[in-house]
Amino acid sequence: MVANAATRDDLALDLVDVTKTYSGKVHALRGVAMQVPRGQIFGLLGPNGAGKSTLVKIITTIVRPTTARGTVLGAPIGHRPTLARVGYLPEHHRFPQYLTGRQCVEFFGAMSLMRRPERRARTAAMLDVVGMAAWADRRVGTYSKGMQQRTGLAAALVNDPELVILDEPTDGVDPVGRREIRDCLLAMRDQGRTVFLNSHLLGEVELVSDRVAIMLQGKVERQGSMAELTHDSRSWRIAIEGAAPPWISELGATAAAAPAGTRTTIDFKTDDLAAVQAMIDRLRAAGVSIVGVHETRESLEDLFMRLVRDVDGRAKAVGAAQIGRGG
Amino acid sequence: MSQHPLLRERLTFGDLAVQTRAQFVAAYRELNARRLFWVALVLNALVIGAVAAIGIDEKGISVLGYELGIPGVNTKLFPDAKLYKVIIATLGVGFWLSWLSTILALLSTASMFPDLATGGVDTLLSRPIGRARLFFTKFLTGLLFTALQVAVFAVLAFLVLGLRGGAWELGIFVVVPLMVVFFSYLFCVQAVVGMVTRSPIASVLVTLLFWIFIFLVHTGEQFTLIGRTASRLEIQGIEARLAKLQTEEAKSGLIPRLEEQREDDADWALAHGIFYAAKTVLPKTTETAGLVSRSLAIAADIGEEEEEAEGDENARRQRGFFRSQFVSEKKLEAAIKEEMDSRPVWWVVGTSLGFELVVLGFGVWYFRRRDF
Repeated sequence: MVANAATRDDLALDLVDVTKTYSGKVHALRGVAMQVPRGQIFGLLGPNGAGKSTLVKIITTIVRPTTARGTVLGAPIGHRPTLARVGYLPEHHRFPQYLTGRQCVEFFGAMSLMRRPERRARTAAMLDVVGMAAWADRRVGTYSKGMQQRTGLAAALVNDPELVILDEPTDGVDPVGRREIRDCLLAMRDQGRTVFLNSHLLGEVELVSDRVAIMLQGKVERQGSMAELTHDSRSWRIAIEGAAPPWISELGATAAAAPAGTRTTIDFKTDDLAAVQAMIDRLRAAGVSIVGVHETRESLEDLFMRLVRDVDGRAKAVGAAQIGRGG
Repeated sequence: MSQHPLLRERLTFGDLAVQTRAQFVAAYRELNARRLFWVALVLNALVIGAVAAIGIDEKGISVLGYELGIPGVNTKLFPDAKLYKVIIATLGVGFWLSWLSTILALLSTASMFPDLATGGVDTLLSRPIGRARLFFTKFLTGLLFTALQVAVFAVLAFLVLGLRGGAWELGIFVVVPLMVVFFSYLFCVQAVVGMVTRSPIASVLVTLLFWIFIFLVHTGEQFTLIGRTASRLEIQGIEARLAKLQTEEAKSGLIPRLEEQREDDADWALAHGIFYAAKTVLPKTTETAGLVSRSLAIAADIGEEEEEAEGDENARRQRGFFRSQFVSEKKLEAAIKEEMDSRPVWWVVGTSLGFELVVLGFGVWYFRRRDF
């Protein structure tokens, strides 16, 4: 666990036992514990209703937790002055339509306690970073969805935040814009910021995240680095000429004939490199021609789908649980 | 890593000022973007322009130089700036600001709190601002519409009084705080209903219904006040007549009437007491707007002059709902005016603001408890 290795100062977010019950009936969060190290991109995944947005809103004080212990940038959850160092882009944000992009970003800079000279300079810089400088003096009401999203990103970054929380930042953005936002996220990390990314797009999260948490039914089902999460799924794919010897099954490996030709692929699921070497030696000793050896891991999507589905492939109940209905 | 410039243990006064100023500037920009704001401003100018178009001299009254030929209405009846004061107080404040402009302000600000409760709240709540302060600041920015409109009205009215009437009446500027307070009584209801229902239409409708309700309570209180006052004066009149009568025979005709009037008086006192109690806890819109007339010191003068101009005491005694042989209409009006003037400003404004605080307190309590 990260918490064991890192001190409290190394964590941008250290959440312990965060619960939220709506109207005394719906358990949206059921004891969430999560550690987000500083200076990393942290991806939060989960199906609809898993409690991701509720968790984000508790961190940003938009939703009141039923119980919550832990810290945000070293201060207790809900400590308002600390929010001046947090940038947040909500999923379905609606900025004042009567403000121009520049006025809008400046307004949120002021709400984050920034003084005017610094605010103006940062606003211009951030609008430039998100590619909105040319439209900065037009009203937000005239912007497309993508332009509003970019402006939102500028507003989230205007206060030079140490922690940036982005809820579906690429929602409504075209592929080019998505790429630019991804680059922007990586640049933020390089600048030493912590990025907390809540997204449905598994590929996007996998591409940029250093660590990931997967939430199901209001709980963190898995969290860790990509390597840690897929550690158990590490396997080796050995391609050979001809049929596989029968003894490979004794070692826990499986064989599958290639779709065409005379080759066979042996899948050997192990994290023990010595065992792989032993398998290769034994194949060679048996006169088998080895064509190739590849390490394979489960993708984030594979892991996610495995977690949200039963063994027979049906979707699990993954959303918020109602009291008295179990789950 | 160097310390972040926005690192704070607690917010400073400067921080609060930066946030509050930003919200007021944004609110001004919002008003600026609304057509209704400019429509109301133009109407303001038209109302005052209409007042300025009226002229009065010793011959009579005129509009844009055309004599209207209304007998008796001249500088003898309305010396100096009195005509302009009367029109500004009755038409300008009593009708335009108290009704039409207020309705325009309610319509213009109707979406403020529903918008806060739906689209824009998460981006604001994720900033270092408490919910109570956010709610109150939003409420205050909502008063900006009325404040700006009435400020423009006051400046124009001041110029008309000075240029047309020759009286540079600084007292007219009291209309700005009074009408802002007046509007705030209604806007607090609109704000809370808008927050709870998230519907601009519902918030306007409920506010207008509430306004009608307090108007009905006010009307009921005024009616029972007249009844109670007339009844007391009637008793005093009968008692005075009885004191003058010498014979028991002459008195016997009035004694049953006195007893009957005393019974009526108890009923009037009870009815008025109920309306007065209800009115005490509700906002007093009419009286608050009436404070402008009080501050301009015009109502009493007009009353006196009208009475002097008419003169026929007997005819007045037989007129109206509360006709009496013992109480003249003038005496009744004077007694009611005395009663109304005896109500202190703190009662008119203080109890109304008390109501507002309770409503806003509920709004803050609700806003603080709500998840978005």
